[in-house]
Amino acid sequence: MKLNKYLERSLWVFHLNTGSCNGCDIEIVAGLTPRYDLERFGIKLVGSPKHADVLLVTGPVTHKMADRVKRVYEQTPEPKVVIVVGTCGTSGGVFYNSYNLLGPVDKIIPVDIYVPGCPARPEAIINGVLQAWIKLEKLREGMKAAPVK
Amino acid sequence: MLGLLETGSGFWSAVVWVILVLVIGSLVYYIRNKGEKSYKKNTEQDKPFISGNPELSKEGSHISASHIYWGFTEALKGYYNPLVKMHTGDINDYSGWMVIITVVILIIVGVRR
Repeated sequence: MKLNKYLERSLWVFHLNTGSCNGCDIEIVAGLTPRYDLERFGIKLVGSPKHADVLLVTGPVTHKMADRVKRVYEQTPEPKVVIVVGTCGTSGGVFYNSYNLLGPVDKIIPVDIYVPGCPARPEAIINGVLQAWIKLEKLREGMKAAPVK
Repeated sequence: MLGLLETGSGFWSAVVWVILVLVIGSLVYYIRNKGEKSYKKNTEQDKPFISGNPELSKEGSHISASHIYWGFTEALKGYYNPLVKMHTGDINDYSGWMVIITVVILIIVGVRR
């Protein structure tokens, strides 16, 4: 039995830190703690982008992380959705135009969902993940209609 | 030809072997078919995930058996380094060592007599 059409299967998320201060990363972990308990919906963090449906990126992109972000993005199988958590990843935040940054995440890879905040609240992150889930299911339906060659 | 071959410790049958190959082959084919169909060949998806780092050459990432003994050889490098230097790979050096050691042994044996 499906709860609704968006709960066809579990959502696996790969978390990537591209230069974050760790504030947003702590809030992501908070989303998995008993208070919010995202895992009860089958949402869980995985250790490899090859297993993931969603790429969750925190922090602005430093020069050294740029090609790693691209590589991780390319290694994530289709269909995939990218969520950026935090103001730094969204726009650069207080580090905007800093000498050691290449820029916000969307300068390097395409981003689907933005969750601003410094740090973003767990409720906001959960909302972002749900938006990603809806988008992902639509992408899956699109792929069923026209499979990737 | 298709009969049962008794070996003393068991048996072998061509028919059983063919059936097993078909069963296991079908199972492998079924599991492979359930795999990710959107997977793209000759892209980064072909390569291993090493925390986003590029894949090193096989030679660059190879861990040899001697790495297991690293602590041992590091602790005894005073002993190993001269030994490694002595192993030049030149047969003339090895013949020379054999002659020198033979002479030393003969002298010791001669003196004892």
